[in-house]
Amino acid sequence: MKKICALVLTLCLALACLSMAAAEDKTYHVGVLQLVQHVALDAATQGFQDALTEKLGDKIVIDVKNASGESVNCTTIANDFVAANMDLIMANATPALQSAMAATADIPILGTSITDYATALDMDDWTGVTGVNISGTSDLAPLDGQAAMLHELFPDAKTVGLVYCSAEPNSKYQVDEITKFLTELGYECKNYAFADSNDVASVVESACECDVLYIPTDNTAASYTETIANVVEPAGKAVIAGEEGICTGCGVATLTISYYDLGYATGEMAYEVLVNGADVAQMAIQYAPNFTKKYVAARADALELTIPEDYSAIE
Amino acid sequence: MDIAKLLNAFPGAVSQGIIWGLMAIGVYITYRILDVADLTVDGSMATGGAVAAVMITAGYNPWLAVIVAFLVGMLAGLVTGLFHTTMGIPAILAGILTQLALYSINLRIMDGKANTAVNVNKYHVLVTSRNVRQFSVSNPIILTLILTAVLIALLYFFFNTEYGCALRATGANGAMARAQGINTNVAKVIGLMLSNGIVAFSGAMLTQYQGFADVQMARGAIVIGLAAVIIGEVVFGKLLKSFAGKLVCVSLGAIIYYLVMQIVLWLGLNTNDLKMLTAIVVAIFLAVPHWKQQAQTRLHVRRKGGE
Amino acid sequence: MLDINHIAKTFNPGTITEKLALSDADLHLAEGDFVTIIGGNGAGKSTMLNAVAGVFPIDQGSIVIDGQNVTGLPEYKRASFLGRVFQDPMTGTAATMSIEDNMALALRRGQRRSPLKWGITSKERRMYRDQLKRLGLGLEDRMNARVGLLSGGQRQALTLLMATLQKPKLLLLDEHTAALDPKTATKVLHLTRELIRDQHLTALMVTHNMKDALQYGNRIIMMHEGKVIVDVDRETKMNLRVEDLLNMFEHTSGSQLNNDRMLLS
Repeated sequence: MKKICALVLTLCLALACLSMAAAEDKTYHVGVLQLVQHVALDAATQGFQDALTEKLGDKIVIDVKNASGESVNCTTIANDFVAANMDLIMANATPALQSAMAATADIPILGTSITDYATALDMDDWTGVTGVNISGTSDLAPLDGQAAMLHELFPDAKTVGLVYCSAEPNSKYQVDEITKFLTELGYECKNYAFADSNDVASVVESACECDVLYIPTDNTAASYTETIANVVEPAGKAVIAGEEGICTGCGVATLTISYYDLGYATGEMAYEVLVNGADVAQMAIQYAPNFTKKYVAARADALELTIPEDYSAIE
Repeated sequence: MDIAKLLNAFPGAVSQGIIWGLMAIGVYITYRILDVADLTVDGSMATGGAVAAVMITAGYNPWLAVIVAFLVGMLAGLVTGLFHTTMGIPAILAGILTQLALYSINLRIMDGKANTAVNVNKYHVLVTSRNVRQFSVSNPIILTLILTAVLIALLYFFFNTEYGCALRATGANGAMARAQGINTNVAKVIGLMLSNGIVAFSGAMLTQYQGFADVQMARGAIVIGLAAVIIGEVVFGKLLKSFAGKLVCVSLGAIIYYLVMQIVLWLGLNTNDLKMLTAIVVAIFLAVPHWKQQAQTRLHVRRKGGE
Repeated sequence: MLDINHIAKTFNPGTITEKLALSDADLHLAEGDFVTIIGGNGAGKSTMLNAVAGVFPIDQGSIVIDGQNVTGLPEYKRASFLGRVFQDPMTGTAATMSIEDNMALALRRGQRRSPLKWGITSKERRMYRDQLKRLGLGLEDRMNARVGLLSGGQRQALTLLMATLQKPKLLLLDEHTAALDPKTATKVLHLTRELIRDQHLTALMVTHNMKDALQYGNRIIMMHEGKVIVDVDRETKMNLRVEDLLNMFEHTSGSQLNNDRMLLS
């Protein structure tokens, strides 16, 4: 048994060296490891692909693999990319980044749709760069801006219900952060966490005891906006959303980033690493460049809200 | 379609398979020995991962972390066992209830966060996928193989002791076991505890290997566990018939499962179809024993008819 | 040795399937008694044996084995007093376990089972081999074979051996030859008698065969509608024929003996 193992290992090592040598042509191979099929993550992957294809044309081969929502699949896919000796791995969402990090210390990794790299990678003394083979873009929404928006639209509200999914790595972080800003503005915040589709409706129902609801950038919530809308609309409650998808589905207004732009920015970083030899360990994490205030006209009318001029309507 | 790339991916698939094989051995104890379909494992595997992640990031020794994970997993099994035996809830439902409760408990273990990173650059971990192609003792395949061997040896010893025999009898024929003075309720609880302890232990290893714990990390774990048990039986059942041999089969079954997954990825099939492919692979292995039996019956009938 | 004091049991009370299985059943066995039990369908024969074994709690009355009141004890705790053989050959043994595993389980009936001590010692193995030889079925050479591979008769013989491996205070035989062909049934009955005689066991045997009921044991009881209605002692039994038994039954119960499987010959 041991001998066979040793033999297999040697064989694999030898082949790894061979394939390394074979990768010396001008075509770049990039693996995209995405956690789950999802509007925002899909947009980020699309942006990433578009950026690289625009810059490199047929000199780039991008292999997109999706873990279909099972985080353990991330490890299998990461193993596939490392075995194929990719020139770069793009990890879309937190477990994807963590799996890629565990799988390789050598291949450059760029993350996207990650809210907070220090938490996702468990780094101390965060300086904006990781110091290891990882960089990327953050989808951290402008939480202070979102709190300010809530204040702008609902100055008379007293309580804010914060609705999020307890299974989402980044939601708790966002909720904790925005609570600070909202409390400063004089609101009382209450957390309403749901686990999955089964209890969304009842959790949102109880959240409706608050004056206004807030939903952060939350992949699971984004999947159940229909359910949430069916509760909040009859109750006459307004939802301020952390991102556009949720806002379209069940919200009234949002201060949002574009995941496509974020993915595009990640693609530009990838170009720097691949072609210009930038050191990924020293590349600063990039944040979304610009935010837009958006609102849903039909819901604003139903709630008899007056939306300021600088908001653009979501079609 | 570079075969070298596939071979290069095999060590990773093998070590992932060995870690899941540990989990599948836990499933084997309930599914095959106790004859109980226990769905607690989807929760208890994540519990093991959560405990290990929290302890390792708090600076504890990783060995201590996996031992504590094992003990906490046993507690999860105890709860399912008590639901089933003292409250009279059917085993399958008892497991689902515990699994449900464990979701909240796992979140509490991780301080309300759904995901806890275990940074391999920062902490000493027992295994990491990073070293899987290394030709050294830090290769996770070596340690996981040793752990599997030790686990199988311990289980072989335990299931041949007086109490181990009683546990096997409980699963084989409950009425007979009671007639021999065995408290089958206690035996079931102990079997569930042992099983979930092993599953949590596997979760603790997986967390270190993949570099994070996640409340959803073991969603559908029971499917992989059962697949490993059945694949092992179908492929190696004829060769390895002893008790220890059967446990080896289970571990090999898990390795095959992950090799197949790796091949599917390497073939470049659309990963959106991954779950369907998993279902098909498991269904085929489930069907093989059935088809074999049918073929044998047909052969038998034909022979008889020819006489 | 056994006192069944006016026990009663109703299954599924208050439902449409409510069934009065035992009502005021009363029976007392002296040490060394070998009692055969006959009766019609649903007379409560098996129910009474199961009540003694503790398969279910009883509604009324008490059960005392060798001076110890076991009425409140769960089934697994009563096992230390009882050897049991069931009608279905599948019930008495663990099919997926080996012959020697099954015997080792039976040898430890009523004892604490250690998670550290080996389940079978080599000394025991020799003893099992000797015991199996007595059966004359060749099982002593197949001690590692799974019990599921044995025939019904072989399994019943093994179960009987297992029930007496650790001397029970009471042996409960619940139509243990009903599923066997006549030749095998006779063999198993002979073995039963032999084991009971050698170890001076106290035994209760339910049977549907009137001839067997007369031929074996030192007492016959008849049950009807959950009660013991006839109790025949050794002297009377010796001169009894099947027709006498039938007459006795009709006379006492005021009805015909109805048992689909009853063998009168």
